[in-house]
Amino acid sequence: MLATVPSASLLGVDGQPVLVEIHVSNGLPGFTIVGSPDSTCRESRDRVRAAIMSSEMVWPMRKVTVNLAPSGRRKAGASLDLAIAVALLVADEQLPAEAVAGAAFIGELGLDGTVRKVPGALSLVDALDAEVVVVPPDCVVEATLVGRHHVRTVRTLRELVAAVKGEAPWPDVDVVEPAADPVVVPDLADVHGQGLARRALEVAAAGGHHLLMIGPPGAGKTMLAQRLPGLLPDLERTQALDATRIHSAAGERLPPGGLIRRPPFRAPHHGASSVAMVGGGAAYMQPGEISLANGGVLFLDEMGEFAIDVLDSLRTPLEEGIVRISRAHARVSFPARFLLIGAMNPCPCGEGLRPGACRCSDAALIRYSRRLSGPLLDRFDLRIEVHPAEPRHLLGGEPGEASAAVVERVAHVRGQAVTRGVDTNAELSAKALDECAPLSVEASAFLEKALRSGLLSARGLRRVRCVALTLQDLEGRPPPIAVGAVSLAMQLRVEPRFLSRRMAG
Amino acid sequence: MTAALPDEAWVTALVSLSLMGPARLAVLLEHFGPAGSWQALRAGLRLDSPPDASTRAAAPRLAELLGARVDAVTATWRRETRAFDPATIWAAHVDAGVGVCVPTSAGYPPPFVDDLEPPLIVFSRGDPDALVGPRVAIVGTRDCTRYGWDIAHRLGSELAEAGVSIVSGLALGIDGAAHAGALAAGGAPPIAVVGSGLDIVYPRRNAPLWRRVAEAGVILSEYPLGSAPVAWHFPARNRLIAALADVLVVVESQGTGGSMLTVGEAIDRGTPHLAVPGPITSKVSAGPNLLIGEGAGVVRDTADVLLALGMSAGVARSSRETRPDPSPPDRRVLDAIDWQPVTFDDVSDRTGLDLFSLSTALDRLVDGGWVDRRGVWIERRAKGSR
Repeated sequence: MLATVPSASLLGVDGQPVLVEIHVSNGLPGFTIVGSPDSTCRESRDRVRAAIMSSEMVWPMRKVTVNLAPSGRRKAGASLDLAIAVALLVADEQLPAEAVAGAAFIGELGLDGTVRKVPGALSLVDALDAEVVVVPPDCVVEATLVGRHHVRTVRTLRELVAAVKGEAPWPDVDVVEPAADPVVVPDLADVHGQGLARRALEVAAAGGHHLLMIGPPGAGKTMLAQRLPGLLPDLERTQALDATRIHSAAGERLPPGGLIRRPPFRAPHHGASSVAMVGGGAAYMQPGEISLANGGVLFLDEMGEFAIDVLDSLRTPLEEGIVRISRAHARVSFPARFLLIGAMNPCPCGEGLRPGACRCSDAALIRYSRRLSGPLLDRFDLRIEVHPAEPRHLLGGEPGEASAAVVERVAHVRGQAVTRGVDTNAELSAKALDECAPLSVEASAFLEKALRSGLLSARGLRRVRCVALTLQDLEGRPPPIAVGAVSLAMQLRVEPRFLSRRMAG
Repeated sequence: MTAALPDEAWVTALVSLSLMGPARLAVLLEHFGPAGSWQALRAGLRLDSPPDASTRAAAPRLAELLGARVDAVTATWRRETRAFDPATIWAAHVDAGVGVCVPTSAGYPPPFVDDLEPPLIVFSRGDPDALVGPRVAIVGTRDCTRYGWDIAHRLGSELAEAGVSIVSGLALGIDGAAHAGALAAGGAPPIAVVGSGLDIVYPRRNAPLWRRVAEAGVILSEYPLGSAPVAWHFPARNRLIAALADVLVVVESQGTGGSMLTVGEAIDRGTPHLAVPGPITSKVSAGPNLLIGEGAGVVRDTADVLLALGMSAGVARSSRETRPDPSPPDRRVLDAIDWQPVTFDDVSDRTGLDLFSLSTALDRLVDGGWVDRRGVWIERRAKGSR
């Protein structure tokens, strides 16, 4: 006898619909799964068998063939367990086919018949067209976010059988919301002094400019970076759904209510591999840190310590906002539009910014400066030096401006960028800049001088103009761009080639 | 044809061998002579069964110098002496216009003749007569402050004008500043001692300066063409700087460092050394301040150096302010910058200006030659500095 039950499995962060077909016939008893299951998926057999027997149902001593259609696509993970169990019971005539018509099933089975949560429930449910979807209790919140289905849930396989047979009502499972973490968003008011660094942080948030902070240990680079997400506005609904899908697929914990509304902040350790950073993996394609940071902030502390190939793998996603991963068996793309914040020491001895304080040899400086490739450095619109705050600022100095005040200015500037047809000022092309942010005569002369003296490259010119526009937007001054804004934009883009700070004869 | 080569050619070929340091070369030359050393190495230098009296005499000291690596080293020398032709190496130096002297040569620099550790060979580019007049070595750190750079530049220029040659190492920072000053004045010819072959310009950023010193004065090296600037060359280079100097001036240096080693070499040779005092909070003034504490002479201006040389200071030049006066608002910003490096944020605190106005004011002060910017650090510039 034959049974067909819809379900879905995860590929990257997207769900792919899978039809579970089961044929039960006379013959030598056996159980075969076909249709490109990978090893995690093939293990379903043992889980399903134990779950059916623990639930006082009968394991058919006949020949069972399971096909996962479309059979050419690779399936991974345990999300098909529940659908396989249901299809088997229908094919073995332990459940009437009509009882499960129009329903799709998602969930992993425990050996005792418990229905367990699976990663990526939001994407899985989104891929289904069935009227009714049955999901594990822990996935109800995510499944409801999609909003197109009638979502039902069961705790065990036994409950499911009773419900579909009509012997008991569908259990009214209390949706257990994860306990709301006390949300501690660090506030900018904690940062004393650091006028230039604070301004750079505000510009990064308002204009979407990537920021590199160079400074000795203990200067407050991490402290500043942690305050950046607090300056960004809430995610819009599509961004929030994207973020939720990605976090869910990666098995990350979701906030109460399921939807991620605040921009994420990711700070991977410098030992991260390039797969951990951009995504991929052997079993099934997992999103990497840059996708988890989508819509938010990717903070790379000790940037000089990351492997060079890991850092360079960021270049294309930084440019395109998306990362495409190709493997022999699958190709996926993940969204990866993030604000990159880097932090690093100025040189191996850590003291190399203050004139006359560095003990490094010229050769050590040359080696150190190779740790960031030129093209990657070029992606940073803002490159600032951070110095330890003065003791008098730390003790009893008046607190800095609070995040709440900055957030308003940031939102205003982002709003202005939208009127210019882009999400943030950092995306404006040279042509768009000519139209919406013409230079004043003095600013134009200033930039011409900088270009002539070699302080500024043609490529750097657009970036300096973008930053100058954001600076001026933050002050509420309309274009044309004043010389002060351009001059400050140059001051916020220091030359990080450390050797060049030493004076030749 | 090799038999006709001068001693200079043989020693040049010998120092071009791998693993040939000054101590090993000295023993070889003492027992075998220039051409004889080459032949002995070519024959394999059998120290365990000396074939002749010279080898027998040299064996104990060579064995001690070479230690456990004796077989590897003699094998390398044997291979290289068979692979290289001394005439080719010599021709390369002659064609490149490099002067070569050994202690027996007529042109061997007089200051080295009675030195504690006279160099076994000296390569030179430029005019060897540059070594004739009075000489002051100006040394210091690569990572100097603007203050140090300005002082080194000024001393270099005023001493050169007074007819004193500046000896230095062509490194970044103080070394380069002193020579840049000397060249700007166009007085006595500059003298440089470097730690690489004369065709290997190190550091690369000083390449223009290197060329100008060779044109106006002379560059000396102990190393043949093609030698890389390896670390152990530099202490040896510093000893030659001390040997050339009539007076040594330390402008800026950390408490320990290459310049302090040069001072040690000067003390060994009885050469007077002077130091430029600096703020006790500045790491790179720690070295000079330490020397002053230990009794070194203080450099307050060029006259102090000339006095140490036994020359009369002459009429002190009053250098006139040539920079255009900053506007009153810019003058207020300038007044907020002291003579030690300050950050942008410091100046912003002191002046209370908004960041746009402060940034443009600083741009104007940089243009006017009043201050210098390195990243967020701002330093004042001395009168008459370049």
